[in-house]
Amino acid sequence: MAQLTAPSPEVPVTLWQERWGKLAGTLLRDPTLGLGLISSILFVVLFVATPLVQVIVQAFFDSRTGDPSLEYFRRYLDPVYRGHQWRVLWNTLIMGSCTALGGTALGLIFALTLARCRVPGQRWLHYLSLLPTVSPPFAIAIAAILLFGRSGLVTRQWLGIQFRPGVNDIYGLDGIIFVQIITFFPVAYLILRALLERMDAAMEEAAMNMGASCWQVLTTVIFPLLIPGLAGSVLLLFVESLADLGNPLLLGGNAMVLSSEIFLAVNGQYDQQRGAAFSLMLLLPTLLVFLLQRYWVSQRSYISVTGKPSAGQIAITEPWIRWPLVILTGLGSLLILALYGSILVGSITRLWGIDYSLDWQHYRAAFNRGLTPILATTFLSVAATPLAVLMGILIAYLVVRKNFWGKQSLDFVSNLGAAVPGTILGIGYILAFIRPPLLVVVGATVILAWYATWSVLAQRCWGVLLLGSLLGALLRWVGPSLSYELYVGGIGGLLMAMGGVVGWHSRLWKGGLLAAVGLYLELAVVEPFVTEPIGVWGRTLGGDMAKLLTSVQAMIGVIFQLPLTLVGFVLLGVVALALRAEARLLGRLHLGLVAVSLGLAFGLIFAGEPLALVGTPYIVIAAYAVRSLPTSVRAGMAALQQIDPSIEEASINLGADTQTTFRRVTVPLIVPALLAGAIFAFARHMTSLSAIIFLTTPRWPILTAWILSEVEQGGMSTAAAYSMILIALVFGAILLMTAFAGQQLRQLGGGLDLTMGGG
Amino acid sequence: MAEVSYLVFQDIEKRFSSREGKGQVAAVQNVNLQIEQGELITLLGPSGCGKTTTLRMVAGFESPSRGEILLAGERINQKPPHRREMAMVFQSYALFPHLSVFENVAYGLRLRSLLEIEVRKRVLEVLELVGLEGLEHRPPQQLSGGQQQRVALARALVLQPKVLLMDEPLSNLDAKLREQMRTEIRRIQQTLGITTLYVTHDQAEAMTLADRIVIMHRGQIEQVDVPTQIYQRPASAFVADFIGQSNLLPARVVGREGEVWIIQALEQTFRLPSTALARPLAIGEAAQLLIRPEAVCLHPRGSLRAGVQRATYLGPIVEYELTLGTQLLTVVDRDPLRPRIYPVGAEVNFDFLPGCLYLLPA
Ligand SMILES: Nc1ncnc2c1ncn2[C@@H]1O[C@H](COP(=O)(O)OP(=O)(O)OP(=O)(O)O)[C@@H](O)[C@H]1O
Ligand SMILES: [Mg+2]
Repeated sequence: MAQLTAPSPEVPVTLWQERWGKLAGTLLRDPTLGLGLISSILFVVLFVATPLVQVIVQAFFDSRTGDPSLEYFRRYLDPVYRGHQWRVLWNTLIMGSCTALGGTALGLIFALTLARCRVPGQRWLHYLSLLPTVSPPFAIAIAAILLFGRSGLVTRQWLGIQFRPGVNDIYGLDGIIFVQIITFFPVAYLILRALLERMDAAMEEAAMNMGASCWQVLTTVIFPLLIPGLAGSVLLLFVESLADLGNPLLLGGNAMVLSSEIFLAVNGQYDQQRGAAFSLMLLLPTLLVFLLQRYWVSQRSYISVTGKPSAGQIAITEPWIRWPLVILTGLGSLLILALYGSILVGSITRLWGIDYSLDWQHYRAAFNRGLTPILATTFLSVAATPLAVLMGILIAYLVVRKNFWGKQSLDFVSNLGAAVPGTILGIGYILAFIRPPLLVVVGATVILAWYATWSVLAQRCWGVLLLGSLLGALLRWVGPSLSYELYVGGIGGLLMAMGGVVGWHSRLWKGGLLAAVGLYLELAVVEPFVTEPIGVWGRTLGGDMAKLLTSVQAMIGVIFQLPLTLVGFVLLGVVALALRAEARLLGRLHLGLVAVSLGLAFGLIFAGEPLALVGTPYIVIAAYAVRSLPTSVRAGMAALQQIDPSIEEASINLGADTQTTFRRVTVPLIVPALLAGAIFAFARHMTSLSAIIFLTTPRWPILTAWILSEVEQGGMSTAAAYSMILIALVFGAILLMTAFAGQQLRQLGGGLDLTMGGG
Repeated sequence: MAEVSYLVFQDIEKRFSSREGKGQVAAVQNVNLQIEQGELITLLGPSGCGKTTTLRMVAGFESPSRGEILLAGERINQKPPHRREMAMVFQSYALFPHLSVFENVAYGLRLRSLLEIEVRKRVLEVLELVGLEGLEHRPPQQLSGGQQQRVALARALVLQPKVLLMDEPLSNLDAKLREQMRTEIRRIQQTLGITTLYVTHDQAEAMTLADRIVIMHRGQIEQVDVPTQIYQRPASAFVADFIGQSNLLPARVVGREGEVWIIQALEQTFRLPSTALARPLAIGEAAQLLIRPEAVCLHPRGSLRAGVQRATYLGPIVEYELTLGTQLLTVVDRDPLRPRIYPVGAEVNFDFLPGCLYLLPA
C-alpha cells in the first residue's frame, strides 16, 4: 500500500563524488570500456592536444637559445618588418573571405539546381561536383596552370595573351581565390543540399497554398531556413581557405599568406619560432570559427541534421529562376570538367604549350621516380585507416552512449585535430616528438598501470605497483648493457612463459593474450633477419624491382617494429584484461604475475627514447588518423544515434552482457557507417598535404608533397600524371569497397557527409 | 508478514540529477509493493509519473537510489540486468533490425548455448503461441505493427522469464488491434502463469488486463487494488478523477449516528454508511462527495433540480452538463426509453442513486 509519508530530505552528494561515481561506476568497472576510454583519451592527448600546446608555447620562445621572446609579435609594430607582416595578414583575410563568399555562392547555386530543379543527369553532376573533395588539394591549381597559366591552353593558345611583367596572370591572390573556390565549394554544396533535402515539403506547400509565388517561397521560406547553413558554410570555407597550403604554394607567386609563410619559415629558414608565431596568428581565427560553428551556428539551425530527407521535394519551375540556376550550374560543371580534363590530357601530352601529341612518358617518369612515394603513401594511408575508424567508432560510442565526466572535452579535442590547419599540426608534431614527450609518456604510464592494477586486484594496488616499478627500474638499468635482441627477446620470452602459466591455470584466451604480446616481441627481433635479405636481393635486381622490394621490406618493418613504448602500453591493457579476477585460480602466483608483467611493461615503455617519433613512419600514420578522425567520429555518431538505445537494452535484457551486445547488435548495425567511414578516411589520408609536409622523410616520401616538389622542378605534366595516379588510387579504393560492401553501403543511402574538406 | 511475496519493492526511491541545475529530482519515491507469483499488475498513471522508471529498476537498467527490490526473497538491486532473467517488451518493440523474426526470437536462447534443435523447437512453439507461424524468415521491418508487437512478446516469452515487463506495449497500435492484443496478452499470460508488470496510461487496458492496478502519481503510489475497488472505492480525489469520470462536490460531515454518517452537500443532507467513506472523518470536517456520472438518475420526480448547460448525444448514451448554482455536474443518461434529449436551458429533475455515493477527504 502507498505510504504517504513526507519525502525524505535531499541526500547531499558532493560534485566530486558524483563525477567519480559516474566515471567509476559505469565505465571503469568494465575493463573493455575502461581501456577504451583511456586509450581514446591517450590518443587525443598525445596526438592532438600535446602538439597544439607545443606550437603555442614555441611561439613565445626563441627556437635556438630557448629564451622567452616576443620577437615575431613585436614585428607587427617594427617599422622595418611592419609592412610585410601586416600584408601577409591582410592577404590571408582577403583570400579567406573571398573564397568563403564565392564558394558558398557557387555551392548554393549547385545545391538549388541539383536539389530542386529536376535537371537531367543530376546524379552525374552530383558526383562531378564532389570530385574536388577526393582529389589532391592542389589538383585544381595544376589544372588552372595548364589552362590559364603563362603557357596555358586557353590564355596563350586560344586567346593569344602575351605574359609580360604587369600583365595579370593566374599567379597571385586572385588565382588562389579562383582555384580555392572550385576546390572548396563542394563543402558548401553538401551542407546546403542536405538542408534543402531535409526541409519539410509541407511547409513550402503551405506557403504556396497561402498564395506565395515560387520566388516568394524562395525568399520568405527557403532562404531564412538556409541562413544557419549559409553562415556555417561561410565559416567553414573561410577556415579551409586559411588552412590550405598547396594552392598558395603553387599559385601564390609573390603574394604570401600565413600558411605559405609557415611553410617557408619551417622548411626554408629552419626557424621554428617564426613558424609557430605565424601558426598562432592562423590558429586564432580558426579556433574562433570552430567555436562559433560548434556553439552558435549549430544551435541556430532549425532543421536537425539527423533528419531523414523528406519524401516529396517541391521543384522550382518558374523559368526566370530556374534557367539562370541551371545555366550557372552547367557552366560551373563545364569548368570543373575542363579542369579535370586538362589534368588528364596534360598528363598524356608530350610538351604542354608547344607539342600536344599523345605521349605516355610522364606516367613512365612518374612510376620510375615516384614508385617509392606511391607505395609508401598508399601503405601508410591504408595502415592509418583502421586506426582512424576504430578510434572514431570508439569515441562515438563513448560520447553517444555513455555518461562520463569530460565527455564534451573528448568530443571537442577529437574534432580539433582536423579543424586546425594541417601545417600547425605538422609543426606541433615536430616540436612534440623530436624528443621523447616524457611528461605524457609518464602520465599515460601511471594512469594505465594504476588502472590495470586497480581493475585486476582492487586492493593491495600500491604494493604491487611499487614492486613493478622497481622491476622496471632494474630493467631500465641493466638494459643499456644488453643487446637490443637480448633485451626485447628476453621480455618477449618471459611474457610467453607467463602466458603459458595463465593459460594453463585459467582461461586459455587470457594466457593467449599475454603470449601474443610476447610473440610479437619475438617477431620484432626476428623480422630484420628475415626481411633484410629481401632488400639485399632486391637491390641486386636493380630498377623498379629494387624499389618495390625495398618498399615491401620497409612495410613489413612498419608492422613489426612498432615503438616499444606502444607495445608497453598495450601490455598494460592486456594485464587489465587477462589477469583480472584470477586470484582464485592462480593463488599467490597471481600477485607475482601482475608485478612482473607491470615491470616488463615499464621496461618496454621506457626503453630507448620513448615516442621520439620524428622521422619514423608512425608519426605520419598518427597525423593521417588525427586528420580523418572527426569524419569517422561523425559517421559513428550518426549511425549510433539512429539505433534506438532500447534495442541494446533489449539485448541486455535477454541475457547478453555489454560486450556481447556490442558485438552482436551494435556492430552489425553500424557496419555500413564503418565502411563508409573507412573509405573517406582513406581518401583523406591519400590527399592530405599540409599535415604531413613537415613529416615526410627520404625514406618515407609522401606523394602529395612529392608532387609539389615535382611542380617546382617544372614538370607540370609529370605532376598531372602523379595527380591522375593519386585520383585513380582513391577511386580504386572506393570502387573496391563498394564492390565488396555495396549492399551495406546502400543501406546508408548517402547518409554520410563529406564536409571535412581536403588539404 | 506471514509469507514473502514473489516480487517486493521496499521503500524504493529513484533520483535523477536534473539536467539544468545541480540538484536532483525524485522520479519515484516511497514505493512499497508486493506482487504474488503469476499475478498481472498494471502500473497506471499520467505521463511522467515514474512508471517507466519503476519498470526499468526492476529490469536493472536503473538502480534505485534507496530501498530494495526483492525477487523470491533475494535482493537484486546490484544484480546486472543481463542476469536477472526478466524479459521486457519495449514500447518501441526494439526488435533487432538486422535479424529475421526467427533470429530475433532465438537471440536469447542462443546466448544460453542450447542445441540448435532445442532452439528451433522453442522458437517455433512460441511463434505459434503468438500466432506468427510462417513469418519466421521475414525481417521485422516487413511486419505490421501488431505483428512486430507479437514478435517482441514472443522474444520475451521464449526465455520463460521469471518476470515479464511490458512498457506500454500497445500504445503504437490502433484501437481495434489494441483491444484484440489485450485479450491475447491476457490469455497467454494466464496460460503460462508468468508474473507480469504492465505499464500503461490507458485505463481501459489496465481495467481489462489487471489482477491488481497500481495507480501512480508524481512518483508515488496512490492506490493498489483490484479494478472494481479502484473504481468504486478510490483512495484519493486524484484516483477518483483519473479513473473514469467523476463529480467531486464539496461536502461537510455534520453528524454521525452509529455506522451512519450524515453529510451535507448541495444544500442537501445525505446519509452514508461507514463503508462509503474512504477513511473516518471528524464531525465538521470538510470532505468531497464523489458521484459518478452514471449514478445520477434523471426523472421528473427527482428531488434535485438543475439547468442543462450542454447536451452531447453519443448514440447509446447522452452526456449532460448541468449547473446547480455554481456547481457543475456531469451526467450520463442511458435510458433507451427516453423520448427526447433535454435541450440546453431546460430544467431537469434528478436523484442520486443510493449506494453509489462515496466520501473522500478534502
Ligand atoms: N534519465 C533520466 N534523467 C533525468 N530525469 C529522468 C530520466 N528518466 C526519467 N526522468 C524523469 O523522471 C520522471 C518519470 O519518468 P518516467 O519515464 O518514469 O515516466 P512515465 O510514467 O513512464 O511517463 P510516460 O507515460 O510519459 O512514459 C519524469 O519526470 C522524467 O522527466
Ligand atoms: Mg514511460
